[in-house]
Amino acid sequence: MFQKILVIGLLCSLCTTVFAQDFFQIKGIVQHAKDLTPAQGATILGKNLYAVSSASGAFTINNVIEGTYSFTVSHIGCEPTTFSVIVGQNMKEVKVFLIEATTVLDEVKVNGKTRKREALEVPIVSQTVSKEFLDQNRENTLMQTLSKVAGVSTINIGSGQSKPVIRGLGFNRVAVVQNGIKHEAQQWGNDHGLEIDQHGIENIQIIKGPASLLYGSDAIAGVVDIQPNQTPLPNSFGGEVNIIGESNNDLLGVSAGVTSRKDKWFYRSRLTYRDYGDYKVPADRINYENYVFKLDDNNLRNTAGNEANASLGIGYVTEGFKSETVFSNVNAKNGFFANAHGLEVRTSSIDYDSANRDVDLPYHKVNHFKITNNTSISAGEHVLHLDLGYQNNNREEHSEPVPHGYMPTPPNTKERLFVKNTYSLNFRDSFNLTDQHNMVVGLNTEYQNNNIGGWGFLIPEYNRFTAGVFAYDQFKVNSNFYVLAGLRYDVGRIDTKAYYDWYPSTVHNADGSISYIHQQRSKNKTFDFGSLSASLGLSYIQDKTSYKLNVGRSFRMPLANELASDGVNYHMYRYERGNLDVDPEISYQLDLSVEHTENHFSIGVSPFVNIFQNYIYLNPTSNYYETIQIYEYTQAEVFRIGGELNTRATITENLQLDASIEYVYSAQTSGPKKGFTLPFSPPLSGLLSARYQFEKLLFFDKPQLIADYRITAAQEEIVPPEEKTDGYQVLNMSLLSEIEVFKNNLPLKMRVKLNNVFNTKYFNHTSFYRLIDVPEAGRNISLSLTIPF
Amino acid sequence: MLCGFKSNLMKSTFKYLYFLSFILLITACSSDDSTEIDEEKPTITVNYTTGFPQGCAFLTRGETYNFRAMVTDNSQLAAYSIDIHHNFDHHTHDDQVRDCNLGALQQAENPLIFVENYTIAGSKTSYEINIPVTIPNDIDTGDYHCAYSVTDATGWQSRTSIDIKIVE
Repeated sequence: MFQKILVIGLLCSLCTTVFAQDFFQIKGIVQHAKDLTPAQGATILGKNLYAVSSASGAFTINNVIEGTYSFTVSHIGCEPTTFSVIVGQNMKEVKVFLIEATTVLDEVKVNGKTRKREALEVPIVSQTVSKEFLDQNRENTLMQTLSKVAGVSTINIGSGQSKPVIRGLGFNRVAVVQNGIKHEAQQWGNDHGLEIDQHGIENIQIIKGPASLLYGSDAIAGVVDIQPNQTPLPNSFGGEVNIIGESNNDLLGVSAGVTSRKDKWFYRSRLTYRDYGDYKVPADRINYENYVFKLDDNNLRNTAGNEANASLGIGYVTEGFKSETVFSNVNAKNGFFANAHGLEVRTSSIDYDSANRDVDLPYHKVNHFKITNNTSISAGEHVLHLDLGYQNNNREEHSEPVPHGYMPTPPNTKERLFVKNTYSLNFRDSFNLTDQHNMVVGLNTEYQNNNIGGWGFLIPEYNRFTAGVFAYDQFKVNSNFYVLAGLRYDVGRIDTKAYYDWYPSTVHNADGSISYIHQQRSKNKTFDFGSLSASLGLSYIQDKTSYKLNVGRSFRMPLANELASDGVNYHMYRYERGNLDVDPEISYQLDLSVEHTENHFSIGVSPFVNIFQNYIYLNPTSNYYETIQIYEYTQAEVFRIGGELNTRATITENLQLDASIEYVYSAQTSGPKKGFTLPFSPPLSGLLSARYQFEKLLFFDKPQLIADYRITAAQEEIVPPEEKTDGYQVLNMSLLSEIEVFKNNLPLKMRVKLNNVFNTKYFNHTSFYRLIDVPEAGRNISLSLTIPF
Repeated sequence: MLCGFKSNLMKSTFKYLYFLSFILLITACSSDDSTEIDEEKPTITVNYTTGFPQGCAFLTRGETYNFRAMVTDNSQLAAYSIDIHHNFDHHTHDDQVRDCNLGALQQAENPLIFVENYTIAGSKTSYEINIPVTIPNDIDTGDYHCAYSVTDATGWQSRTSIDIKIVE
């Protein structure tokens, strides 16, 4: 949006000829802002006045009566520009500078096509989420905002943390990519949330299917690709401040960003701070198994938290070269529900109800530091991209030290510590073989170094190196028919480190003797993997209808916890045991997408069928380890089918209706849980939206009223230890408006959002707190104000 | 099914067919019930005359008690566990009807730790847990917990937890 802030060049230099009395002549020149070359053929359009610029960029409009006039200047490939001029005595020549409509690099790539057209031509079934969508639908976390997209849902951990789920698969099966670098944290963890600042994101591409070909391991179920922001235009400066307040969890948030570019150097920076209290649920007690937890004033005790983020990007752009380095740091601290964390019921002498904004035990805190560099060079026919990344994820979980089994009371509250360093290097070269063939070849490498601490053991320390090479060809059969075919091979090595309990356990030996030993939980071991990915896709555009078909094979490398965990997960009250024999997951998927667009109506369906040859699944067994149920990583064949349907109808000029449905059916077709579904399967769900655009009202410009009605069916398909979840219906309303405070300045943007209008008590099947029967948040009013400058 | 789906696309009334096909796809697949799956958890209770220990029970050091609980399942019981651990720090509470008066907070020196697992052989749908436990003479007295848990062959688990006191 900062581009819009850009200068409308209007400077005066020369005098104009003065005609007798009433009639005047407007003289001016139109030039390209970039290099001051004349812009020929630009149309200068005002009310009843019209001119076209000549080869020298000059234009004249004759016989103009005294007064103030405004004109719009349009030229192919440039942003339309408006200027106003006071016609009268002593008029000066008008100078108009046109700014190119696309940024320098996009010009290379987009080649005059719109983003929409380009998306239609690529056979990959994907969905683009714009800044506008994010601003209008912003919720507490990025993933909660994106869950409005059909096929995307979240696993929420309270109000401030969430992780992505695409078509029912999440954790390490969805890759989150930011600035070309895969976000690496403790994604496998149940109570881990995505550490990305949701402010300042301009464009997200969501791929709802296997995308190992492009993104490597972990993209087996989909990708949330947060793309680098647009390069700002030359000689520009802009920014915005966003302030948000919410009633349900007493959230106060502020985020401020600036962007600037001189000629070749540009920078952008953003600071975000959010602080929130315990959130409220429409219930005065939580009934979990035989336990009853009374809530104080509907507050889900100890779910408060805060988040402080900062980022700075510095870039350099010139003809055929662009490089940007972004430093970012996300720091968050969140309390966990005090009465039961995971499945573990707790009492405590902590007076949780004395304050709603403090974070007591148990809580987690995380700091994610990231440096990314994206460099593109166009060298003749070749466009080279280099992405470099370093990430440091430091996550701690704290809880009151309590003895368990043979473990005595631990010395401190630090239950788990994970420090993970990830180094990434991606390279790709895109070039045209012929007019019809665009080839992309590339390399992805990544090194992870994971360290652990604290008195609880879940996953071992490990080092992991992965590398993949890929090549794909985009074949343009004709202007409406495209084929994409690609192959990729990945290798990976994981070195796990040995770990011994810090306390002795009592062991009854076979000969009747008893010994006290520090049990070994993991071994020094090396695992090597290799896997092939492939994808073949077609896209066909027939008039108003576009078709896409994609078949792909994707993979996911086993994680250290799947291979080598061996310990009690107290939060989930289970003993988790890794399996040294698991193979990389292999998934085959067939995706279809059909979109049809009429003037006032559009419809799209995107069904898929998916088979996992060996889905890695944490299977609850019947056995016990020191009275804790053993869950063991096993592999099973899985069959999944489902899809999304989206329709949009423009009823009147002011009223737009949207409807979407998402559904996934999944079943394990082999293994110990044959016939069961997968954990956290989202139920059938539909979203009806109505958007009404009002006329300008007082100082409210473009006011819009939006009603979102979510209808979700019951989830009857469960797998131990899940519970069936009833269906629900929830209404959210929002009012958006722009406010003109000062003329000639950018308008303020205001949003009032009312979530859960009827304070409905309902359960979200994919929420972390669902396991302990905690309902979703109650009614919430949020007020957001964005001040651009 | 997908092929049929695709050929429909060419017809002029395709937009309605899309919708129909999609609904068909959903219903055809969600009514799949080829394998019978077990969705029932086992049950566990000490709320019967000889169930032991009852909430707030006093156990004396040196005595032997038979820990008894009834477990049932719709198809097949698999295993159970008994976990007796101290609650000197009042870290958790039981799920029984009564609230017991807990003693003062105390430091653990030599608490009783009883952590045992057992399997239930045969395809039983009901079973009475009956395990004799001798309370040693040298362990700390005070508030304890007795937690039972039971699994069925599918992997469903049920738990119950009882506040007890061990006295001189």
